[in-house]
Amino acid sequence: MADPVNIMVLEDELMILMDLEFAAEDRGCTVRSATTVEEAMALLDDDTARIDVAVLDVTLSPQSTCFPVARQLDLRGIPYILHSGDLDRHNERIRELDAVLIAKPAHSDDVIDRALSLLDQSQNEADQANRQAAE
Amino acid sequence: MNTDDPRNLRLGDQARLAFDDAPERFRDGHASEQFSGSSGVLFEQAMAQTRMAICLCDPNHEDLPIVFANRAFRALTGYSEEEIIGNNCRFLQGPDTDPEPIARIRDAIVNEQVVVVELLNYRKNGTSFWNALHLGPIYNDQGELIYFFGSQWDVSGVRAARAEERHAREMARELSHRMKNMFAVISSIVNVTGRMRGIRSEADEINARIQALGRAYETTLDEASVGSIDAGQAISAVLGPYSADTSRLVMHGDNPRVPFGIVSIIGLVLHELAANAAKYGAWAGETGKVEVDWSIDTPSETLLITWQESGGAPVDAPAITDGVGSAIVNRMLQTCSGTIERRWELGGLHATLRIPVGKS
Repeated sequence: MADPVNIMVLEDELMILMDLEFAAEDRGCTVRSATTVEEAMALLDDDTARIDVAVLDVTLSPQSTCFPVARQLDLRGIPYILHSGDLDRHNERIRELDAVLIAKPAHSDDVIDRALSLLDQSQNEADQANRQAAE
Repeated sequence: MNTDDPRNLRLGDQARLAFDDAPERFRDGHASEQFSGSSGVLFEQAMAQTRMAICLCDPNHEDLPIVFANRAFRALTGYSEEEIIGNNCRFLQGPDTDPEPIARIRDAIVNEQVVVVELLNYRKNGTSFWNALHLGPIYNDQGELIYFFGSQWDVSGVRAARAEERHAREMARELSHRMKNMFAVISSIVNVTGRMRGIRSEADEINARIQALGRAYETTLDEASVGSIDAGQAISAVLGPYSADTSRLVMHGDNPRVPFGIVSIIGLVLHELAANAAKYGAWAGETGKVEVDWSIDTPSETLLITWQESGGAPVDAPAITDGVGSAIVNRMLQTCSGTIERRWELGGLHATLRIPVGKS
């Protein structure tokens, strides 16, 4: 059996976090949760966490957004989706990130499904690139 | 009589304003300039009577001194003519004056250009005001630069109004964010509870209704203060998630304003119709589609929505009409004195909804 997918969920609203955790567990994922940018960064540096894909809430507090985490994920080539109720305010910065966006409120099943299909897609692209490199 | 006494400056009291003799004194001291004949009289009257603060500065003297300031200038700044004449305009600047517009003024003077800037100026009594300064060169008939004119207008009120508008927009955005967040939390509570209690399909059904309501409300937030909502936007938002395949949902209608109270009816009623179409009707199969039209019927002050399904499988009408969704639709419409007529055609439901909207 394949290793379970390690999914990171960054969300400061605890009920939403729990809902997403359940949905991810239902799909056989190992969930690593963070409620702040610092916790998320620590997870990314944690060799045992080995994050495959992430779901990021955009606005974490009046002063904090997920953008530093998104940039780290970009650097590491880890796919992620943005889950936001605040599309207007961060519109331009969100477009800069060029990431998959799901507007809140959305069903937690849909959010996790989108994250997993994004992971599939990026793995397929990586496989294809490897094959082409091998040829 | 003291012509600078503000009590003599009542709006429309032009007889008194004519007593501003600053233009006359200016003319006496600048006999060589062009203020003669009828244009001279007009100049004097315009300077004396306008509520626009105006000054002239002499670029042919050291440090560009003010050589003329009309009464409105004196009234705006609180300085007397003796305190103004002979000085450079910079005495109006103060601790919080931004150097950026000052630099633009300096450039305009050096290049003999016209410029309009807004800067914070200070009155004699130390109070500040936002000054929309319009500055430019004046040439004589020989094309020689003889003055710079400056017209000052106190735009503090305008700026305050702009700031207030910005603040209101930010508040609306914050409110919108909080409300979406609240809907998301409610939705999660329903999900988590449904899962823990083992009633997930019920929880999903409740959640779908909450989310439809959330989408309908979302469209109303930017204009929350107006008191009415755009029915077209609300309808599109509720049905949006069903229109991934745009050929299967066709919407026609403009953007009528309807009272805010209608939003939950639009949200919940259209959600039930859409949910039924997806479960039993035109969207249950591979090819069916739904056409939604809306408009305001003016004489009866009614929002008229028609819902026409086509291309669906034959429908088990009683299964739908006895359901919870239909009960919600019927009860909501009944309570707001609206109606729904359902006709079951071969390809799906044809429904006509009438929702009273009153004058909006």
